[in-house]
Amino acid sequence: MADVKGMLPLTEAFYYILIALYAQPSHGYGIMQDVEGMSDGRVKIGAGTLYTALNTLLGKGLIDHYPVPEGTDARRKMYSITQDGRDTVAAEMKRLEELLASGRRIIHPEEA
Amino acid sequence: MGKQVETKYRLWFSWQYEQEEKWINELSRQGLQWKRGGIIRNEFERDASVRYTYRLDYQLGLNKEKREEYLELYRDAGWEFRGNCTPAWFYFRRAWRPEEDPQLYTDRESLVTHYKRLRSMMAVMLLINLFIMCLNGINLLPRANGHLWGIVIPVLAIYALLFLLLGTGVVKMNRKIKRITS
Repeated sequence: MADVKGMLPLTEAFYYILIALYAQPSHGYGIMQDVEGMSDGRVKIGAGTLYTALNTLLGKGLIDHYPVPEGTDARRKMYSITQDGRDTVAAEMKRLEELLASGRRIIHPEEA
Repeated sequence: MGKQVETKYRLWFSWQYEQEEKWINELSRQGLQWKRGGIIRNEFERDASVRYTYRLDYQLGLNKEKREEYLELYRDAGWEFRGNCTPAWFYFRRAWRPEEDPQLYTDRESLVTHYKRLRSMMAVMLLINLFIMCLNGINLLPRANGHLWGIVIPVLAIYALLFLLLGTGVVKMNRKIKRITS
């Protein structure tokens, strides 16, 4: 298994790319659209950021190339998440939950 | 077809690519649309009916397949590829819209990575040239007797200029990185 903890904390872009691919294999354009949708238009990943991130994630083995379905544009590369990618997302969510829980305990003690 | 082409000269270095972008975008506002060009010479088409946002991107060492993949992804994101200046600088554009300032690098982390790549390109070029200069020096200096002003001094002056430029580039990139990380 790759060094999952070594990737944390993920940037917003990395996190959203990984959960977009957690849902289903996709191409760059699909990822951009999904991320914008999931974040209600708040996170727009620029082309340079996405391209760099995909290369980094491929290099770290968190995502992989996915065979392009027949009859679709073969130039449009597709990506899928790997087990290391899933583990990384899970570890990051655990980290974020802890951050939120700690904050809530201090700021809204009555709800804890 | 039949559009009037204007040529403009302006020297720029890698660490000034954002100023170059600004200049090209300002000309687009004035109706001059970047057609092709490079480090010094740029050709523009006169067309005041459109306006674009241009962006320059740096990607070194893409093979044919990688390049196609790269351009496809940018195309998908709405960027029209217009041309290269050297194999590593890519010119993109998209229709200009008010209230919009579309960027290629949309978060601080990826912008820093981008700046660092530019910095290491210049640092590597500096080291390679330093190495070549030392090799040449060791080989040629013992035979340079009497050629001091004819060869040795001019060559050293050219190297000095090169190192000064590359060194400036590294320092400028360092400043950019510091500005957004601190």
